Amino acid sequence: MLAVIPPLVTPSGVDILGILPEVILAGGFVALLMLDLVTSQAHRGRLAAFALVAVAASFGSTVWGWFDAGTPHTVYSGSFAYDRFGLFINAIILISTALVLMISPQYLNRRGLHYGEYYSLILAAATGMMILAGASSLMVIFLAIELLSIALYILSGFSRTEPRSHEAAMKYLLLGGFASGFLLFGMALIYGETGHTQLAQIAAALQNAGNSVDPLLMAGIALLFVGLAFKISAAPFHTWTPDVYQGAPTSVTTFMSVTTKVAAFATLIRVFTYTLGETTVYDRWKIIVYFVAIASMVVGNVAALRQNSVKRLLGYSGIAQAGYILIGVVVLSPLGTIASLYYLAAYAVTNIGAFAVITIMAGRGEDMDSYDSLRGLAFRRPYVAAAMSLFLLSLGGFPPTAGFFAKFFVFAAAIHANQVPLALWGIATSAVSVFYYLRVALLMYTRPTADQPVYNWSRTSFAGGAVLVFTGAGTLVLGIFVTLVWTIAMAAQHGILPAGVI
Amino acid sequence: MNATNDFPFLLGLAAFLFSIGALGVLIRRNPIVVFMCIELMLNAVNIVFVSYGRYLNSEEGQVFAFMVIVVAAAEVVVGLALITQVFRLGRELDVDDLDEMSK
Repeated sequence: MLAVIPPLVTPSGVDILGILPEVILAGGFVALLMLDLVTSQAHRGRLAAFALVAVAASFGSTVWGWFDAGTPHTVYSGSFAYDRFGLFINAIILISTALVLMISPQYLNRRGLHYGEYYSLILAAATGMMILAGASSLMVIFLAIELLSIALYILSGFSRTEPRSHEAAMKYLLLGGFASGFLLFGMALIYGETGHTQLAQIAAALQNAGNSVDPLLMAGIALLFVGLAFKISAAPFHTWTPDVYQGAPTSVTTFMSVTTKVAAFATLIRVFTYTLGETTVYDRWKIIVYFVAIASMVVGNVAALRQNSVKRLLGYSGIAQAGYILIGVVVLSPLGTIASLYYLAAYAVTNIGAFAVITIMAGRGEDMDSYDSLRGLAFRRPYVAAAMSLFLLSLGGFPPTAGFFAKFFVFAAAIHANQVPLALWGIATSAVSVFYYLRVALLMYTRPTADQPVYNWSRTSFAGGAVLVFTGAGTLVLGIFVTLVWTIAMAAQHGILPAGVI
Repeated sequence: MNATNDFPFLLGLAAFLFSIGALGVLIRRNPIVVFMCIELMLNAVNIVFVSYGRYLNSEEGQVFAFMVIVVAAAEVVVGLALITQVFRLGRELDVDDLDEMSK
């Protein structure tokens, strides 16, 4: 099949309908900056409510787009894809953002960080992520990645008086900039060797090139992968992850651990599977992605064994999850893409839930993320402990939770594509992961002895409870009513742009 | 100047500058110098974009370079603000001292 190049047409006013969800969210971001000026300290909660309204409006237009995008096409002369794949990712990002906005005000108030910029920056980052999900030109991909990264650099250093937070922001900024350099060099070489920056045209140029593969092109693809692997925190480009996750304010960690990964995976799938999927090129990049996937699964799960902070633990667990999701990219099949999408949805709902528990438990001025501070939680806050156990079981891949089917589908995709070793690595490392997830779960059900400190866990607010109920229900729905989300993911994969490569 | 003949030289120059930048990020300890090295990497990429644009006779490379310049400027704003913040807390400017969490 030949890659389909969209005709080059002058952008028309109608094109804005293709980026409506992003436009609405960007509008919310600007409006929040203004509103912050006229909102008093006591009423900052209203800014969160306003941000939630913007997210809801954007979600509404995403749903409308889902039914409107029956025939996927690109807008703005091929630089942005208006397809259900992008809209599916948008939906995950918007739901995650809404959940984070709900738990934020209480946490920020308690930590003395309640500034209005927080909400604008969250919306700016979410806008960048949504643009990234739909981006179908190297230029737009780069701009979207920077939009989300710069907002996140500021957010991770949001706790202005805390050295831990500075350290997180500094590490994220310096290593993020470093990774951007590689990403850009990769893009420059791909552009130079194919002559195009738009994904559909790059795909067509690769098909026309036939069996000859230029070494510079391969170098470009490898460098681009390094840049994106940094964003999904895949090993060996993961070193920033545990530190940034631990140092950033917990509500920010909740946000970025999920949404960044989802958005970066969206563009990874669009670029590698659907643009660079041409056989001769694929045979070469397959090797790199294969080893990065295995390295992530091994490094993430093994390093997680010796942590004593839940935030760090979830950071390492996120590295391992990136490895599992990469399996869906390596196999280069529609089944792999659907499995990855399912995994991303499951990962989002479970991880937001697990981090929300840590956010809700946070004390005045300090995060409760050490293992010790969870000891005996079940006796004082039985419902929160039960929810946390559910999330940990899901991360470990126990049925009937979201995590079980997510893992099952990616392993099935690997076996379907005759990549049995990949599935075996996945299964072996998941077995290791059960150990550290259960360790935390058991700790919550262990009664503290007399000489151990008793922690004063915060009360769960109504919004916090609602987030836990939603994520808990989501974890179970994705684990029981599997066809529901699977059908949507299938529709999202069907008609993904650029078309015609695999 | 003949763009076609100079092209391998320009690409080599860009790769050289990029390597200096990458090496600097890895071995220098002052965050401001590390930051400068990142800028060097980005500008090396700009050379690649612009010279490919000239070589291929397409505008996309030139436009891309503009985008990179704009984004690099935005990154500097945030980066310098953060570095100032760390400095104001009375820390030495040395990236090796940022090890609060690995202790």
